Amino acid sequence: MAKHATPLLDQLESGPWPSFVSDIKQEAANRAANPKGLDYQIPVDCPEDLLGVLELSYEEKETHWKHGGIVGVFGYGGGVIGRYCDQPEKFPGVAHFHTVRVAQPAAKYYHSKFLRDLCDIWDLRGSGLTNMHGSTGDIVLLGTQTPQLEEIFHELTHKMNVDLGGSGSNLRTPEACLGQSRCEYACYNTQDMCYQLTMDYQDELHRPAFPYKFKFKFDGCPNGCVCAMARSDFAVVGTWKDDIKIDQDAVKAYVGGEFKPNAGAHSGRDWGKFDIQKEVVDLCPSKCMSWDGSKLSIKTADCVRCMHCINTMPRALHIGDERGASILVGAKAPVVDGAQMGSLLVPFISCEAPYDDVKEVIEKIWDWWMEEGKNRERVGETMKRLSFQKLLEVTDTEAAAYHVKEPRSNPYIFFKEEEVPGGWDRDLAAYRSRHQR
Amino acid sequence: MADKDVIIDFLKSKSAAKSKFYFKDFTDLFPDKGPREVKKLLTQLVNEEVLEFWSSGSTTMYGLKGAGKQSHAEGED
Amino acid sequence: MAFISSGYNPEKPMEGRITDIGPHKYDEYFPPVIKKNFGKWLYHEILEPGVLLHVAESGDKVYTVRVGGTRTMSITNIREICDIADKYCGGYVRWTTRNNIEFMVEDEATMKALRDDLNSRKFAGGSYKFPVGGTGAGVSNMVHTQGWVHCHTPATDASGPVKCVMDTVFEEFKNMRLPAPVRIALACCINMCGAVHCSDIGLVGIHRKPPMIDHQWADKLCEIPLAVAACPTAAVRPTKVEYNGEKVNSVAIKQDRCMYCGNCYTMCPALPISDGEGDGIAIMVGGKVSNRITMPKFSKVVVGYIPNEPPRWPTLTKTVKHILDVYAANANKYERLGDWANRIGWESFFKLTGLKFTHHLIDDFRDPAYYTWRQSTQFKF
Repeated sequence: MAKHATPLLDQLESGPWPSFVSDIKQEAANRAANPKGLDYQIPVDCPEDLLGVLELSYEEKETHWKHGGIVGVFGYGGGVIGRYCDQPEKFPGVAHFHTVRVAQPAAKYYHSKFLRDLCDIWDLRGSGLTNMHGSTGDIVLLGTQTPQLEEIFHELTHKMNVDLGGSGSNLRTPEACLGQSRCEYACYNTQDMCYQLTMDYQDELHRPAFPYKFKFKFDGCPNGCVCAMARSDFAVVGTWKDDIKIDQDAVKAYVGGEFKPNAGAHSGRDWGKFDIQKEVVDLCPSKCMSWDGSKLSIKTADCVRCMHCINTMPRALHIGDERGASILVGAKAPVVDGAQMGSLLVPFISCEAPYDDVKEVIEKIWDWWMEEGKNRERVGETMKRLSFQKLLEVTDTEAAAYHVKEPRSNPYIFFKEEEVPGGWDRDLAAYRSRHQR
Repeated sequence: MADKDVIIDFLKSKSAAKSKFYFKDFTDLFPDKGPREVKKLLTQLVNEEVLEFWSSGSTTMYGLKGAGKQSHAEGED
Repeated sequence: MAFISSGYNPEKPMEGRITDIGPHKYDEYFPPVIKKNFGKWLYHEILEPGVLLHVAESGDKVYTVRVGGTRTMSITNIREICDIADKYCGGYVRWTTRNNIEFMVEDEATMKALRDDLNSRKFAGGSYKFPVGGTGAGVSNMVHTQGWVHCHTPATDASGPVKCVMDTVFEEFKNMRLPAPVRIALACCINMCGAVHCSDIGLVGIHRKPPMIDHQWADKLCEIPLAVAACPTAAVRPTKVEYNGEKVNSVAIKQDRCMYCGNCYTMCPALPISDGEGDGIAIMVGGKVSNRITMPKFSKVVVGYIPNEPPRWPTLTKTVKHILDVYAANANKYERLGDWANRIGWESFFKLTGLKFTHHLIDDFRDPAYYTWRQSTQFKF
């Protein structure tokens, strides 16, 4: 018998998509049965109380959670988010229900041993409920009480050799696409760059000293599977400089219908016979391709590496060999001044470990932003406030036409004094000798 | 005055109005030091249990340990 | 309950403390075929919805079976995933950025057995536990935030509306018959901790009423200067008010400046923002992150407000399904939702979908607004 009646939530158990309500109920039943005979360190019925308070929200259409800012583990400024229920008497199991962020391996490859060990800690010391994963990438352990926080941290670090993730005004847990581990488009080792930079910047991740949050994301190619350009302050997106490699026989196999276009991604509808002219050449954004009926040609100098032709004919076209990445800076979600996409700063950077050239760019941006950024200002907003030119200046980057979509359409140029012959100290007497008042 | 005392005195002088401050409020106390040096001082004070972090989830602030109204309100003291 | 110590000594927090060790290394849990062919993959193919084949230069093959998962997930569920990984995949398993789970095997027969096993598992309530799908030109799993399950400033739930939307578009998760991939995401308030601003269809919880001010408690629960500083639009100011015949410290809110972000409530529980009849969801469409064919773009608001209708959000799911259907019927192959809307013009988008264009959909927020107005005589009647 369930502790709370949940007639509204029960309606989320039907339908084909996996039901989180059914899942929480099975955890509630598991804890009630306690097959491992655990001495649960937080209330055994907390999943039931979570369903109870959620049912109340479904009745009233209002949340019942409050934020708590003090809780954490000693010495770290992030990794724990405090939560309190505003109906603690009705739902004592979730009166205090804090979240713990655990650092995930880049691109989220696991072995069951790791996951089972984590589940065992969370079974004993938490609610048994998680998020797999949080939006930024962390494993999120959802709901425990303050006295358990240090115990969980101790067990994570001592028994599982794993650390907490980030929260607050610090470097957030970085994440990468699966890159070279299982993708032929990856232009560099995204997972390795993610891992190395995460390790090198542990202090920035755990001890907040930035004006606001700062995110790294690493995409292996311009398809952008981890959304680096849209979601990270510092986006590293794989690209290449030389020719797209063409296997003309394989191109013919696509044209002849032997290979399914787009790796079979459109196979659920009859789109007609594959038409390379219409589906590839004509859709090329920079019109750098041509097809003469037997040979596909690409003018590399005109290619903007959008990935469309490669995505459409992955067995025939391959990324070039001179590989690296572009760096785009300043993406963020809308609050306050509107959403921002990352802006291109470095067109091409080689991506060889230990990534000192990438770190140099990062650290120059941080030094500037820590000095000039206002409280709660993302670096993209600092860029808007102080100008893209300023970003170029602090990163010792020379302005180039690829930095903009188009040149400015107003002539209000802020010249620097040293750019103007003779400077700004002018000789008034000499002027007056030529002009009356 | 020792650098750490500058920080503690600043926090005590403001305690009637507010108990938590952004990182930048501390860099303003040390115009001759870079942000990384100021961070080292704050980290030491946190490790010595003089200061503690406060996090809104998206931002983080520093304050004297136990100061402010929330600890008591949530029964965390 | 007897407290079980992990070995941590609260008297000496620094004793034996391990810090700054970071995550496990990414290659620690690679399946052997992944480890062996790292950086040497040649091409891939989607064999059927939810099943990928990757072929390496060595000729090695890896079959991946992708299933949708609930982001809010119990350890009982994770342990079942572990059991499946142990049975078929040597214990290896991975998650994707969009809350999908991927199981990898090296031969076709095992792939088929695994796929059928995953499709056969159901929760007691009747829903699939691990539906296979989410690949190619279809709808993949939604990324979303916490909602009423665990957040203090949500304007809607997250897991619930996601369940309802995915139920409604389930056939598109199981098929690859759309013109291009459609990425749907939900953020339960405008802060978008799960950034949804570049999604084909972005669902965003919105509040429509400024916070209330609990003058009795403001000065007792909060530090007024912190609540004031938290406001991104400087709408909150300190003030003194009469409460029960006494002068108390509190705040005043300039209501027409409030953008309903809830930041002040984060700092001060005496400024609650949630409101059952005010809160709801806006629908944004046409964003994308990929650089394929066209540049990445932001999603645009096409429905300014839909009320919260728990537990099944029927107006929301109907509207999302309708937008998806009109897009599927009208867009060209490879054309993302936003590229289709741009090609036909947004006037035509509203005409074709029948969605009502209202003044709420015209940008009036600061500088970028002007660039969205029409400075041309070219338009469609």
